[in-house]
Amino acid sequence: MLILKKGRVSIVRYLIKYSKDGEIKFIAHLDLMRTLQKIVKRAELPIEYSKGFNPHMAVSIAQPLSVGVHSKGEYMDVVLSEELEEKYIQDKMNENTPRGIKILDVVKVTKVEGKKQSQAMAIIDAAKYSIKLKLTQEEGIKEILNSICSNEEWNIIKKNKSGEKLVNIKPLVHEFEYEVENSILVISVLIACGSRDNLSAGLLANYMKENIESINKEAFVDIVREEMYAMKDDKLVTLSEFFK
Amino acid sequence: MNKISDDILFKVEKPARYVGGELNCCYKDIESIDIRFAFCFPDVYEVGMSHLGSRILYHVLNERADTYCERVFAPWPDMEKEMREHNIALYALESKDSLNEFDFLGFTLQYEMSYTNILNMLDMSGITIRASQRGEDEPIIMAGGPCAYNPEPLHDIVDFFELGEGEEIMNDVLDVYKKYKGKGKKKEFLREISKIRGVYVPSLYEVSYNEDNTICEFKPKYPDVPSRVVKRFVADFNEVAYPEKMVVPYIEIVHDRVILETFRGCTNGCRFCQAGMIYRPVREKTTATLVEAADKLLKSTGYREISLSSLSICDYSDIRNLIATLIEKNKENHVSISLPSIRIDSFSVDLINEIQKARKTGLTFAPEAGTQRMRDIINKGVTEEKILEAASSVFASGWSTIKLYFMVGLPYETMEDVRGIAELSDKVAGEYFKIPKEVRKRGLRVTTSSAIFVPKPFTPFQWAAQCTMDEAVEKIKAVKYAITSKAVTYNYHESIVSYLEAVIARGDRRICDVIIKAFEKGAKFDGWSEHFNFEIWKEALEECGVDGSFYAYRERSYDEVLPWDFIDIGVNKEYLILENEKAKKAELTQNCKLGCTDCGVNVNFKEGTCFHSALSN
Repeated sequence: MLILKKGRVSIVRYLIKYSKDGEIKFIAHLDLMRTLQKIVKRAELPIEYSKGFNPHMAVSIAQPLSVGVHSKGEYMDVVLSEELEEKYIQDKMNENTPRGIKILDVVKVTKVEGKKQSQAMAIIDAAKYSIKLKLTQEEGIKEILNSICSNEEWNIIKKNKSGEKLVNIKPLVHEFEYEVENSILVISVLIACGSRDNLSAGLLANYMKENIESINKEAFVDIVREEMYAMKDDKLVTLSEFFK
Repeated sequence: MNKISDDILFKVEKPARYVGGELNCCYKDIESIDIRFAFCFPDVYEVGMSHLGSRILYHVLNERADTYCERVFAPWPDMEKEMREHNIALYALESKDSLNEFDFLGFTLQYEMSYTNILNMLDMSGITIRASQRGEDEPIIMAGGPCAYNPEPLHDIVDFFELGEGEEIMNDVLDVYKKYKGKGKKKEFLREISKIRGVYVPSLYEVSYNEDNTICEFKPKYPDVPSRVVKRFVADFNEVAYPEKMVVPYIEIVHDRVILETFRGCTNGCRFCQAGMIYRPVREKTTATLVEAADKLLKSTGYREISLSSLSICDYSDIRNLIATLIEKNKENHVSISLPSIRIDSFSVDLINEIQKARKTGLTFAPEAGTQRMRDIINKGVTEEKILEAASSVFASGWSTIKLYFMVGLPYETMEDVRGIAELSDKVAGEYFKIPKEVRKRGLRVTTSSAIFVPKPFTPFQWAAQCTMDEAVEKIKAVKYAITSKAVTYNYHESIVSYLEAVIARGDRRICDVIIKAFEKGAKFDGWSEHFNFEIWKEALEECGVDGSFYAYRERSYDEVLPWDFIDIGVNKEYLILENEKAKKAELTQNCKLGCTDCGVNVNFKEGTCFHSALSN
């Protein structure tokens, strides 16, 4: 997190929605971060910097995206030292992106009286994904999926730095739909995302791979993050709507 | 052949190496251009993308409306394995089209140990390795870069070489090509471009050998083909095309910043250094030109760091003003400036002290040799006093880490010279303790590195024998045991790779078969220690009946015909001989800024003025 100069009244925060297209899905989080900073720099926006010998730009990505995943609904926070029109920021940035990134929306984060507005990364609760799995055969796939859906628990071994553990991911899946088209199983899901509860779409895809024999294990799994959501008045709304 | 797919990419290490799409990369409609050019760097993406020359030529070529230049790098072996298994040809990053669909493949030759990668890249695209067997409908293979100054080891791989600076020559060649494209007249095309200054077409020349394996005669096969190939250079470097945009890679590369090329050539005249000879005359860009270029490049790339590039940046005639202007212009921008190489003197230390206020990570100096006698032999032009003075000012300015680069196995070197490396390192460490405790920074570390010297063409040492591996190992040991200070760490390479480098660097046409043989046996990425396999090369040399020591360990006589003698770099051969003779007597030649040393470049090449655009002082 960035520590910005205190006592400045003029700084303005913007929430920027962008896409990371399929052709650059293999670009890792930190590389994307540096690219976003270069876009801001090229666009000559009056970006704020952190203090210190090695000043950092006030650009932060709301939620990292795994290598290999592309997205139609990424978000970042940027802090500018003066107020600019949202449309101007969007156009300026779009003139300066590589072709795999598009700026989709810019929302000024308005100050709420007496309260600090949360960072985008702190409010995310869910994300929508579509996951495409290649099948070796379509037959019997519906039956298998129906039986998976009726299981009480979806248990899978999750590996992390501290070791391996068995986790039940089903409570983290809020919506689950699927269809089969041209030997591809397309799963659309709304799953927990963010700092409170988080399920990686890759892990969910692995669960399907482990439990459905007819998924081609050698093939690449195409995952698109469609949108990210936050709770507002007990309802899930997109991040853009949250700050509008 | 198949196209690259995600099913492959997700399996390999760093797939971002193989996808393109970076900021400022160039896309063109294939229907609306005439010439497809694949710019090939025979090493991995991160290395290739750091190479300034390639970045310049990519944009120079794409400036042409009739030409579409794309980039190709050597796939790392994990990727190669997947591609070969799935029948995917090597492709260019922009269009993802296979290399065999291109008109030209242009390889840049930065180091000899990348040659097997060239062969592998051709092979991965289904292109015939040998130029003499390559078909009319296959791409034309060209090469340039510093190693092209001895083109012979690749004579039957590359159709033609470009000698010298590529900015202009490339356009001349492509203009001619448009006349011939698609007419099935590759031979006629090559014959015509052989008359362009700087172009060398090996198939138009023949070589005969003496009984002792030295060259008897090198001559053109036809009367209209020039017998000497004269290097090309840009006379007015201040006006040369310099891209306003540069591709900005997504992944971190070796030199990830705006690179400003300040001047070409070098005035120091170190006798081991090939770059110091082949890039003459010295030509500068003015501060105004550089400041303007910096401005444009910072805007177009979004980088926040500028690196000032040249062979010896502190020798730029207006260096103080350039740095001050760049700092002043960018003080609100959070842009920093870096100097990749600095000269060993307190002036340079002061300079770097001014621009590196925060991070004092460590400084690197290259005394190259341990004793004064040896430094005089190589004409390094720096005294021990200067070195220690510089070290002292480094420690006084708050650095505590210093790196020292040396060579072992230089011509006329004695064991005493070698032990001098250890002594000098100890003395440098000693300077630290002369600085009061409250001034110097804690944690002294002196890292001394040595490499084994490889004699290169077009240097005063081009006739010298390389020191044998056994001698080199002895010398390295001597340094190791002579170091007394605990603060000094000694790093050394005793790899046999320097021997092979020496074989290829001064090789003739017979080395070509060895390279092909080594490639067939699986050699690739020979510059990477984890991939280098000397056994392969040993077998290849034996099977081709070539004695490597003939090329590496043999001292040549001045009257021997050297494989690269037909190339005219502007510097007279007599000058190189004179310099070698002076080396034997440990006599210095002055820096040519102080007065002309008569190398011949300004007389032989009338269009080239030394110190063009430089401030006179």
